[in-house]
Amino acid sequence: MKKYFAFLFTAVFFQASAAHLTLAAPEETEHGGDIIYTEPLKAVLFSHASHVQESGLSCDSCHDGIFAMEALSVQKNKDFTMASLYQGKYCGACHDGSMAFASNTQCARCHIGVKGFERSQKKGK
Amino acid sequence: MFKIENLKKESPGKLPILERREFLKMGFVVTGVFAGGSILSLVSNAEKVFASAGEFAEKYPYKPHYSMVIRQNLCIDCERCLGACRTTNNVPDYGYRTAILEKHAPEAIGQKTEFIPVLCMQCNDPPCVRACPTRASYKDKNNGIIRMDEKKCIGCKACMVACPYNARYFNNEKHAIDKCDFCFEARLSKGEKLTACANVCPTGARTFGDLSDPASEVYRMVHQLQKRVWVIRAEAGTKPNVFYMKS
Repeated sequence: MKKYFAFLFTAVFFQASAAHLTLAAPEETEHGGDIIYTEPLKAVLFSHASHVQESGLSCDSCHDGIFAMEALSVQKNKDFTMASLYQGKYCGACHDGSMAFASNTQCARCHIGVKGFERSQKKGK
Repeated sequence: MFKIENLKKESPGKLPILERREFLKMGFVVTGVFAGGSILSLVSNAEKVFASAGEFAEKYPYKPHYSMVIRQNLCIDCERCLGACRTTNNVPDYGYRTAILEKHAPEAIGQKTEFIPVLCMQCNDPPCVRACPTRASYKDKNNGIIRMDEKKCIGCKACMVACPYNARYFNNEKHAIDKCDFCFEARLSKGEKLTACANVCPTGARTFGDLSDPASEVYRMVHQLQKRVWVIRAEAGTKPNVFYMKS
C-alpha cells in the first residue's frame, strides 16, 4: 500500500514536471495516445506510446496505409476481427510472429477487457 | 474425602506417553486419515470419480457427467458470458453466477494481465451441500450439478460461507440463494447442449460437455498428459468438475 502511494506521488510529480517540460519544448513528438477499441468487443488497447516511443515506429509505418489517421475508424469495418489479423490485415500486418508477437498469442496483452476499459474511463475523468 | 488438591493434574505434561498416543490415534481415526480420509465423506460413490487433475477416470457416477474446461489464456474479459448468463438466468445486477477474475503481474515479460473465469465448480464433494441445514442445496443424482431447491432455502447463507469458490449470492427477489446450475433449468433441461456462457464465448475459453463421454471435447481436454490441467483450490478437497488449462 505504501509503495502504491509512493508510486502515485511520483507519478503526479512526474506529470507536473512533464507539463512544464512540454511548455518549454513544444516540438516534442506528438502521438495519438491510447486508442481503445470497443467493437466488435470490449476492449482492445492500442498504445501509441509503446509503439512510437518504445518501439520507435514512425507515423507513416501505419498511417495512412494500415490505419487511417482518424482514431477508431477501422472498428466500423465489418472485417475488423481476429480472423483478418491472422490474414495480415490491421494489427496483423506486424503482429505475425516475426515482426512482433503473433496476434494469436498473448491475448490479454492487447485485450484489456471490460475491466480495463472501465478503469481507463475512470482515469480519463 | 474428595479433595481437589489430591487429584492428578491433567496437563499434557502429566499424561502418560501411551495414553497420549492412544488419544492421538483416536483423533486420526475420527478425521479419517487411516481410512484414506474417506470416513467422513458423505458422497460415497463420488469418491471413485476422477476429479483432480493428474488422476484418471475409473468410473463416473453421473450420466451425463457435466463438466467445463476453461482455457484460461483465451479469456479476454469481453464479458459476453456474464451478459448471457444474466439474461438467461435472470441474474440481478447485484448478484452473479459467474465472474471473471483479473490477475496482474507487472514484472512479467510481454502480457502482464490474466483473466480467470470462475463459476460454481459443481464439486463432487460439495461443502455447500454438507452445510445446508434444509437440503435446499443438493447434488443432482443424474448429472452431478449442484442445484437449489429455492422453496426449501431459508436464507441462512451457511452455504455461502462453506463454498471455497465464492460462487453463491443471495437473491432478494427469490429470497433464496442463487448460483450457477450449468444453465440446467434455463437451457440443458430444454434440450440445449451448451451453457449460455460457453455458447456465447467468442474465443472458446469455456468448453462445456460430458466428462464421461470419450467423444466429448471436455473428455479429450482433461484426459491427456501434454498440457497441464488443474482445478482451483484443489487443497479444499472438493473435487471440482470445472477444470483449467492453457491452450
